[in-house]
Amino acid sequence: MQLLALQHYLAIGAILFVIGLIGFITRRNMIVIFLCTELMFQGVIINLVAFSRYTNNLAGQAFVIFILVIAASEASLALGLVILLFRTKNTLDADAWRELKW
Amino acid sequence: MDALFAVKHSYLIPLLPLIGAIIAGAFGAKFLRGNSHWPIWIGVAISAVMSLSLLFGMVGFWHEGKPLNIVVDWYTWIEAGSFKATAGCFFDSLTAVMLCVVTGIGFLITVYAAGYMKGEEVYFRFFAYLGLFIFSMTCLVMGNNFIMLYLGWEGVGLCSYLLIGYYYERPSAVAAAKKAFLVNRIGDFGFGLGVMLIFLTFGTVSYFGTGVGTHTGVLELATLPLDQLSQIPGVNTSWVPMAMKWTPFLLMLGAFGKSAQFPLYVWLPDAMEGPTPVSALIHAATMVTAGVYMIARCGTLFVSNGAAMTTIAAIGAFTALLAATIALRQFDLKKVFAYSTISQLGFMFVGVGCLAPVAGVFHLVTHAFFKALLFLSSGVVMHAMSGELDMRKMSGLKRVLPKTHIFMLVGCLALSGFPLFSGFFSKDEIVAAAFGRSTFLGVVMLFTAFLTAYYTFRLYFRVFRGPLMVPHPPHDDHSHGSHDHHEEHHNHEPTLMMLPLALLTIGALLAGYFNFPTAHLGDFLGTSPSLTASYEMAVEHTVAVPHLAEGYGQVAEAGAHEPMISGLMVFSGLISIAGIFAAYVLHLKNRRLDDKLAEDLGPLTRLLEAKYWVDEIYQAAIVNPLRALGEFSYRFDRWIIDMLVNMSGWICQLAGFFLKFTTQRGYLQGYGAAMLLGLAVILIMVFMH
Repeated sequence: MQLLALQHYLAIGAILFVIGLIGFITRRNMIVIFLCTELMFQGVIINLVAFSRYTNNLAGQAFVIFILVIAASEASLALGLVILLFRTKNTLDADAWRELKW
Repeated sequence: MDALFAVKHSYLIPLLPLIGAIIAGAFGAKFLRGNSHWPIWIGVAISAVMSLSLLFGMVGFWHEGKPLNIVVDWYTWIEAGSFKATAGCFFDSLTAVMLCVVTGIGFLITVYAAGYMKGEEVYFRFFAYLGLFIFSMTCLVMGNNFIMLYLGWEGVGLCSYLLIGYYYERPSAVAAAKKAFLVNRIGDFGFGLGVMLIFLTFGTVSYFGTGVGTHTGVLELATLPLDQLSQIPGVNTSWVPMAMKWTPFLLMLGAFGKSAQFPLYVWLPDAMEGPTPVSALIHAATMVTAGVYMIARCGTLFVSNGAAMTTIAAIGAFTALLAATIALRQFDLKKVFAYSTISQLGFMFVGVGCLAPVAGVFHLVTHAFFKALLFLSSGVVMHAMSGELDMRKMSGLKRVLPKTHIFMLVGCLALSGFPLFSGFFSKDEIVAAAFGRSTFLGVVMLFTAFLTAYYTFRLYFRVFRGPLMVPHPPHDDHSHGSHDHHEEHHNHEPTLMMLPLALLTIGALLAGYFNFPTAHLGDFLGTSPSLTASYEMAVEHTVAVPHLAEGYGQVAEAGAHEPMISGLMVFSGLISIAGIFAAYVLHLKNRRLDDKLAEDLGPLTRLLEAKYWVDEIYQAAIVNPLRALGEFSYRFDRWIIDMLVNMSGWICQLAGFFLKFTTQRGYLQGYGAAMLLGLAVILIMVFMH
């Protein structure tokens, strides 16, 4: 019998995702919001790895590598943007950019 | 039969003027400038030589007793379902004669135009249009199907528009160009409908299909009886009676527009705003005769329809008379000739309408010579008089322009039908055909011939004879080309302009002998399958008409040719002389008598000078209501339709305005929560199922 079943991995993934989601909805700091989206990513990725191992199919793990690469490049881009936004308004508050809706 | 170079390389005839036009148009502005006429000259000259060699070759075949009728397909132009139009040509005697007129006289006029337009600022533009015109016109007369005919038909209309509006800085020229185009549009609309009806009925648009005698083309299908037609695939038999009834009228509408017949003639007098060579080429010698050519070509569609033939003859006669009376009281040289052209075109229509297409085409040929001559001569006068064309301001020009005087005299004699000049013979044939149809028609034509002689010589005696009087040079509105007048004051009659005039003069003198004393032209034209087939139909369908066989250039079965010099010929000669004499009395011997006469006939004079107020009536009855309708449509579109469209936009804007303050507030977290909520709703819905 396995020490860790599939459910445990899925639970971890779900917990990570929910933490990320809550953080995304409740926090105002742009960097934190961004970190929260990364957290949600990791939750999803753990699901993928878990299912990959469960079904003995390597496609899921290959997919994970892709996602990590994309997430990394996207993270650098997003942080660059955050720095730009910060320079303009001198604050990290996302609500400062409400006028973008116009 | 392929032995003829012109048949083997038939595509060159329209192509060379087109290439010339493209070269002149593309390189004229920068490189060719004052030499822009060369590509056109070369292209049209080769076309003309090919056309003449074609004519001579065909005459040779005809003498050997095997006249040439040949369908040449260059390539498939349009193919869509059962519709097929080839780019190709059909050679028969009618095409050969028309081609020679178009390219031959076209070439002479381009030569003249090089002298006439010298010093114009945008010289190349004129010649590019001229080349394009000759391309279109050759397509029109060569084409072997109705689509080619339509291509040429619209092409010449376009060139006519461009060339009338050549002096586009002048508002009157712009208005005239627009008028010509729009009036022609009415006719072309009918023509287009006619072509569509032909296709829907016969399933083809080709004249003779794959060859003469195969009964695969429209013109031969139209001769077949219904029971035979029903066995031919593609023919919509149930439509045939209807089509035979209406197609002639639709095609006729096109012919009336292009050939300036009542009620669509109003554009031609205004078209004189164009440069004089254009008036000579397009608005006298070639384009305006397209309608006559078309009716002669499509004879089999027309002949069985008595009402259509009567309409053609009646409209032709009415137009001839109407235009001739208007010409009596015109003072502008070119306007007189414009109305005279309308009148002479009326004669041609009477010819084809009275079952004598040979007479119509014969008059077309002679008219092309002498009317081009008259227009070009009046162009010389116009140059010499610094653009002045009012015959009240000039007199006795014989001394200033001795050569032009001779040319003009020959042209006037030919136009007035003076015995032994070209117009005499052709006009006489038409009058004879008219008498064969109805005495009333014949009398009208004779009276019109009298008026023609009178107004022609009124112009001649006023302008060229009597005491010398030259208008004061330049006051503008006609001032085009006057910048180059310094050098021309020394020589009003440059060789470049005189040479074509001399050749045209020879034509105007001798063209009548093509068909007299023996009907060479008539018999040659009679070999055209169009004429042969329509003759057979005419024999079937119409009550006996004297000279029917001659009218179609066929050998009369009774054998006995009528004596060519008939009493009618002598009488019409006398009538022409009477007209000239009347003009002599009123306009040379005693010019005051004319003024007095005009005063005594006050209302009539005013009626004629106002051209029967036809333009004004059209303006009030057609143009203004249409304009009001347009104005109404504009306002309806602007205020009703646009309002509805704008309103849908406003509704969206309004909705956005509200949503901006309720849902889309700009809080990132809000969007995240909304997404979460949406996801939750979807998940719940999925699990509920």
